[in-house]
Amino acid sequence: MAGLSYREKTLYASLVVEILVYGPYFFLHRQNSVNNVAGMIIAIIVLQVVLQLIIAALTRNRVTDERDRLIELRGYRAGYLVLASLMVIGLGMLWFHATVGHLPLDNPMMGLHFLSVFFGMLVIADITKTVTQIAAYRRTV
Amino acid sequence: MPSIRNQIRDLRAQREITQQELADRIGVTRQTVIAIEQDKYSPSLETAFKVAIALGVPLEQCFQYDPHGKR
Repeated sequence: MAGLSYREKTLYASLVVEILVYGPYFFLHRQNSVNNVAGMIIAIIVLQVVLQLIIAALTRNRVTDERDRLIELRGYRAGYLVLASLMVIGLGMLWFHATVGHLPLDNPMMGLHFLSVFFGMLVIADITKTVTQIAAYRRTV
Repeated sequence: MPSIRNQIRDLRAQREITQQELADRIGVTRQTVIAIEQDKYSPSLETAFKVAIALGVPLEQCFQYDPHGKR
């Protein structure tokens, strides 16, 4: 970790938090209540703040420069492209099922399913952003 | 060959300046200095001038542009 810049350390911390929190949520089939989503968002915020504070305390040189900003922009671009693509695919599937008529819109759980699907898209886009930024640092841009 | 090359490593060695010292002088991270020295990152014009000033040489002695290089 000593050879990593402040920004790189914070990115690795973000990735660890994302995997620790999102992983169990999506892979242990816990996406069945609004409370779980709210709990996960709170867990992400708390863990991020704690880890960022620890990293900031342990890192003497917290300079960020033009290369950091460039890498950050690349990450956001990759995340946006993934999110936009997933949204188009998701809306296309929604339109298809609504047209064919197999979408039980009167089911009270539908809202929660939509929430889970769109939240999943956000999570994938967020992880894409972080991984793209880490990869850019490893390639040194 | 990259389109923008530089002699920072040699100039820095001649002046016995470490990567961290140069980074501190021009306001970037040590990792950015490493990336510039390895021709893996082309700095902005402003940073390029700062590097040249920090090393006490004209800009074109620090950085060279090859129109046939790949970017």
